[in-house]
Amino acid sequence: MRIHAELDTRAALERFLADPVVAAGVTARRTLPARPADLLPFPDWLDPALTGALATKGFRGLYRHQVEALEALRAGSDVAVVTPTASGKSLCYNLPVLQTVIEDPHARALYLFPTKALSQDQLAELRDLSGLAGIELAAAVYDGDTPAPVRSVVRAAGQVVMTNPDMLHAAILPHHTKWFQLFEQLRYVVIDEAHTYRGIFGSHVANVLRRLARICAHYGSQPQFICCSATIGNPRVLAETLTGRTVTVIDRNGAPSGEKHVVVVRPPVLDERSGIRAGASGTARRAALSFLRAGRQTIVFGRSRVAVELLLTGIREGLREGRGPLERVRGYRGGYLPNERRAIEAGLRSGEILGVVSTNALELGIDIGRLDVAVLAGYPGSIAATWQQIGRAGRRQDVSAAILVVGAGPVDQYVAGHPEYLFESSPEEARLDPDNVHVLLAHLRAATFELPFGAGERFGPEPADDLLAFLAEEGHVRQADDGRWYWASENFPASEISLRVAAPENVVIIDTGGDRPRVLGEVDLFSARTLVHENAIYLHESRQFHVDRLDWDERKAYVRPVDVEHYTQAELAVTLKPLETFAEAELAAGTRAHGEVMVSSLATIYKKLRLETNENLGWGQIHLPEIELHTTAWWLAVDPAAVSGWKRAELDVALVGAGRALQTVGSILLMSDPHDLGMVAQVRSPHAERPVIYLYEAVPGGVGLAPRLFERHAELVGGARELIASCPCLDGCPACTGPRGEIGGVGKELAVRLLALMEPERVASPLRAA
Amino acid sequence: MTRELARAAGTVVTMTDQALRLRRLARLRELEPRLRFAAESERPAPRPPSLHGAARLAAAIGGREVVAENGSFVVVEREIHAPFDPRPLARLPYPFDPQRPLFLLDTETTGLGTAAGTLVFLIGMAWWEGPTLRVVQLWLPDHPDEGAFLDALTGYIPRDAWLVTYNGRTFDWPLLTTRFRLMRRPPPELAGHLDLLPISRALFRHRLPDARLASVEAGVAAVRRRGDLPSALIPDRYFAWLRRGEAEPLRDVLEHNHQDVVSMARLLAVLAVRLADPAGHAAAHPGDLVGLARVYRRRGRTAEALMCLESALALPDPERSSWTGGTTFDRGQAWLEQAALFGSQGRSDEAVDAWQQAIRCGGRTAVLGWIGLAKHREHRARDPQGALAAALTAERLVAYRRALGRFDPFAERDLARRLRRLRLRAARRQGFAQRGQIGHAIDAGPPDGQAGRRGGEEHVPAA
Repeated sequence: MRIHAELDTRAALERFLADPVVAAGVTARRTLPARPADLLPFPDWLDPALTGALATKGFRGLYRHQVEALEALRAGSDVAVVTPTASGKSLCYNLPVLQTVIEDPHARALYLFPTKALSQDQLAELRDLSGLAGIELAAAVYDGDTPAPVRSVVRAAGQVVMTNPDMLHAAILPHHTKWFQLFEQLRYVVIDEAHTYRGIFGSHVANVLRRLARICAHYGSQPQFICCSATIGNPRVLAETLTGRTVTVIDRNGAPSGEKHVVVVRPPVLDERSGIRAGASGTARRAALSFLRAGRQTIVFGRSRVAVELLLTGIREGLREGRGPLERVRGYRGGYLPNERRAIEAGLRSGEILGVVSTNALELGIDIGRLDVAVLAGYPGSIAATWQQIGRAGRRQDVSAAILVVGAGPVDQYVAGHPEYLFESSPEEARLDPDNVHVLLAHLRAATFELPFGAGERFGPEPADDLLAFLAEEGHVRQADDGRWYWASENFPASEISLRVAAPENVVIIDTGGDRPRVLGEVDLFSARTLVHENAIYLHESRQFHVDRLDWDERKAYVRPVDVEHYTQAELAVTLKPLETFAEAELAAGTRAHGEVMVSSLATIYKKLRLETNENLGWGQIHLPEIELHTTAWWLAVDPAAVSGWKRAELDVALVGAGRALQTVGSILLMSDPHDLGMVAQVRSPHAERPVIYLYEAVPGGVGLAPRLFERHAELVGGARELIASCPCLDGCPACTGPRGEIGGVGKELAVRLLALMEPERVASPLRAA
Repeated sequence: MTRELARAAGTVVTMTDQALRLRRLARLRELEPRLRFAAESERPAPRPPSLHGAARLAAAIGGREVVAENGSFVVVEREIHAPFDPRPLARLPYPFDPQRPLFLLDTETTGLGTAAGTLVFLIGMAWWEGPTLRVVQLWLPDHPDEGAFLDALTGYIPRDAWLVTYNGRTFDWPLLTTRFRLMRRPPPELAGHLDLLPISRALFRHRLPDARLASVEAGVAAVRRRGDLPSALIPDRYFAWLRRGEAEPLRDVLEHNHQDVVSMARLLAVLAVRLADPAGHAAAHPGDLVGLARVYRRRGRTAEALMCLESALALPDPERSSWTGGTTFDRGQAWLEQAALFGSQGRSDEAVDAWQQAIRCGGRTAVLGWIGLAKHREHRARDPQGALAAALTAERLVAYRRALGRFDPFAERDLARRLRRLRLRAARRQGFAQRGQIGHAIDAGPPDGQAGRRGGEEHVPAA
C-alpha cells in the first residue's frame, strides 16, 4: 500500500512539506550540516579496567569534551560540562568517580538529579559500567522511596549516593552526623541537569549547596563539583552561582551528528480579525502520522499530560485499520508506572517502538537512544528546551528532522514570526539569585541548625553576622559569649522550606475526588489567589481540577478532577509602590530603572477561556483579601512632555499594549515562565507623577530578573516593537498587545509609538539584526 | 557572547554590597508581618554577662561547678540505698551480660529529633556501687561548654559498660552520638545496650494507658510521681535559662530527670526479681508473664515460654486496681497459646488438654479452641473425621454468636476454607471406595495442599 511505503527521513520530510496545508505555514527551514566525531584516545592514566569496559561497549576513544572534563578534574578543577542531549555527558562524571574509587575505595561521591526517575536511570547506567569494569561499587539511590533498612546501609557504606536537592535539603544535611562517613570522604559532587536549577528553585538549590559546603568543611573534605547542563546562554554564571566556585567550562562538543533539518510551522489562522489560530496539535498529528507511516522512529512532544494523551489518541486513530504501525506507538509521561516507563525506554532503544508521544519528561537525560524525527507540538517555552527536544532526533550518521509546530499563544507566535531568534540568538540565560533575602534567611536558619556559625563566618560571598543578628531578633538563633551563633529552638527549620516554591506559607491543595482526600500539591499564597480561587480550573501535571472551595484561613483548597474545555484566568488589581531605586538610566524620552518595590494585589474577577483558542466564555468574582508582595522590578517612566499631545485613553491603551509585549519578550529573553513576571501600567504614577510601565517579579525578593531586564533594555524594547509590528493581526491580538476587546482600535500603532520613545539612541537589537 | 556575559556579571546589582543588604534587612524588618510580630512580642535583651556561668547554675540547683580546659559544667550527685542483684537479668530473652557494669542513662534535650540542631543539656546517669545507687547529673551551662560536657560524659562511662536506657536505642544514644560527631569526637564505646522501652511495651503495655516511663513505673512498681514536670515544657525552661538566665525553674527539670533515672533502676529490679527469676513468678502479674512467654517463643526458647505460661495459668486472676491498670488477665488466650506451643512440640496430649481448657472459657476463645483442635486433629493426629467434627462445632458456635450480633469474619473465613477441604477429603475417601468419582470431587474445589497454603497454616513450613 502506498501509505505504508518505507521512506528515508529526507524523502519523508519532503513529502510532509509538500502538503499544501503545511507548506502555507512553514516560516523557516534550516539544514544543520553533519559533524564528524571529535574522538581522542583514552587518557593514559585511566585504569585498564575502565578502558576495557569502554572497549567492551564499543568505544574506540572518548569525545573531546569527555577527555577535557576528565583532564580538568584530574587537575583538581571544578567543571561545568555544557553539551547537547545524548552527547555522553554521564561519562564525564562516571569515569572520574570510578577511577577515584579504584584508586581509593574509601572515596565517596554524591550525585544530584532534579527528579527521582533520572536517579534510577543513572544508577542503572553506572552499575552497568562498573560491572563491565569488574569494580565492586556500592551505589544507591537515596530518596523518599528508599526503604528504611536500606537507608542505614546507604548512609554507612554508599560509595556513590544518588539523590535530589529536596532530599539533600530536608533529610541529609540536617542529619549530617549520621552521614559522617560520606562527608569525611566526599570527593565529587555531581550536579546533573544544572540548567533546571533556575528561578526560585535554583536560588534555593544554590543555598542548599552552600550548606553542603559548610558540612564538608566541618568534616574536612573538599569535594570537586561537576555540573552538567544543557546548552544555555550563561553556563559559567549558572555553575558558579550554584556552587560558589570558579569552574572550568567545557563546551566543545565532540559527539558526532548527522545532517539535521529543522522546520518551524505555524498552524493556519482561523479568524483574521481576532487573530485566533488553530492550536499546534492538528499539524503535529499530521506530521507524526506522515513520518510514522514512512517507518521513521519519531518522538512527539506535547506540552502537557492532557495534550500528550490527546495527541496519542489522535495519532492512534490515524493509524487504525491497517493505516500504519498502530501497535508500535506509545505514550510516555509522569504518572506512568516506573516499569512501564523502563519498558518504553528499552523499546525505543531497540527500535521495537516506532513512535512515542511524551511530555518534557523525556527531555531530561533519560537514555532512549537516538531517533529519526522529533515533532514539537507547541514551543517548549525556551530556546534551550527547544534544542533539548530537537536533540532527541539525531542519528550519528543518517539524516534527521525536527518539526516545531507552534501554538496559538503570544510567545509561540513570536517564535514563529522570528525564527532567527531560535536559530541565531544564543539560548537563554538561567537566572537565579541565591542572595534573595527571603531565601537566604530561610536557609541560614537551616544552616545554623546544622552547625553553629563562627563570628565573621561567610555564607555565600559575605559574612553572615548581620543576617544572624536579624534571626536572633526572631528568637530562634542566639549568639553565645564565645561570639558564635547557635540554633536555640525546638523548630526544625528545614521542614519550613520547600525548595520549589517561594514563600514559606503555602496553600495546600486537596483532591476530594478519590476514595479519600489526598494532598495534590501546594501553591504559595501569592499565586493561590489566581490559581485556586473558588471555581478556578487548577491544572496539576496537566490534569484539570475544579476548585470547589478555598478555605483561606486554613490555607486549604478543595478540588476534584474534571474534564472541561476551558481554563480560568484571574485578574489582579495591582498597585505598586517603588521603595528604592538600585539603578537608573536616561532614555530618548524617559528613564529606565530597576529596584525594590511593594506590590499590593487584589484578585478581582476570573475569566473562563476556551482551551487552544483562548475564546472568552464568561466570568465570575473572586472574594479574597489583598496581599502585599515585597519584590524587585524593572520599570520605564515616560517623559510627560513627549506624550503631552496624547489623549488619556490613548496613553492607557499604549501603555497596556506595550507592557504586554514587553512582558512577553521579557519572559522569552530571560528564559522564565511568563507567570514569573507581573505587569502594571500606570497612566500617571502617584510616585513618579508620570506614565510608568512596571515589570515586577512574582516571587518575594525576586530572583534577579529585574536587573537583567535593565541590562537588556535595548533588546527588550526592540523585541517588543518587533513583536507588535510584525504580528499579522490587524489591531491587536492575544499574541502581541493583548486581546482586541481590551485594546481596540489603533492600539498596535500607539504601543509601537510609545516603545519608540523608550529606545535608547542607536538601537542595536540582535533580534532585528537577523 | 562571552564579552556580553562578562559585562552583565560585572554590572548586575547583587547582594555583594553589604550596605545594600543591611538596608534590605531593615526594610524587611518593617514589612514582614511575621517579623514585626516577633520583634514586638519578645525581643530578648542580650543576657548580661554577670548572669552567665556555671557557678550561678550550680548555686541555683544545688550542684558543683567543674571547670575544664574547654569549658565548664555542673555536677549534681546523690546516693540511694538500693541493693540489687542483676544476675537473673541474664535469663531474660534480651541481650545482657551481668558481668559488665550497668550504666543507666537518660537525657533532657531541646527537642525530639536526633538531627544536628537538637541539644542535649542534661545527662542523668546512675550505677551501683555495692548496695548503693549513685545518681550523677551533668548539666550543660551554655552552648560553648559542650565539648567539656561531652568529655565529662566520656569520663563517666566505663569502657565495657552495659547501657540501660528508656527509648535510648532510637533517641538518647543516637542524639548523643550526633553531639559527639558534631564536636568531631568519637562517641564512647559500649559493650551493650538494654533499652527498657520495647521491653515495657512487650510486657506491661497491655495493662497501662501508655508506655511513658512514669506510667510504667506507676503501674509496675506502684510508684507515683508528685508534681512531675511534663516533658513538653522542658525545652522552654532551658531556653529561658539561656536567653534570660532564669535558673530557678530548672530545679523541676533536675527532679524530673532524677526521677527518670531512678525509675529505670526500679524497673530493672522488677524485671530481675519478678520476671527473670521463676522463683519470683508468684508475685508477677500473669498478663506480664504471657507477654514474656511470647518474647521467649519468638526467640525460639520454647521451654522458657511454656514455663512462663504455666506460671501465669497457675496464678489467680489479678485484682483490678488503678495501680495495675484496667486490663485483666485473658486466661483463655493463655490456654490457646500454651496449646499451640505444646502442639508445635509434639506434646499432643498436653496440647489437647490446653485446647479443652480454652474451650471451657467459652466465647470467642472457645471458637478458636475448636479451630485449634480441628487443626491439630487434621494435621498432627491424622484424624480427619475428628477434625471435621471439631470444625463443625466451631461453625455452630460462630453461627450462634452471629445470631447474638457478634460477627467474627476471621473465624468464618477460616472455617469455610477448612470445612470445604475436610469435606472434600471425606468425599475423596468415599470416591476411592466408589471409583469414577475422583475427578468430579477434585473439580469441586482446590486440592488440599493449595487450600492449606492459602490458609497459611502451621503444617506448611515457613519460608
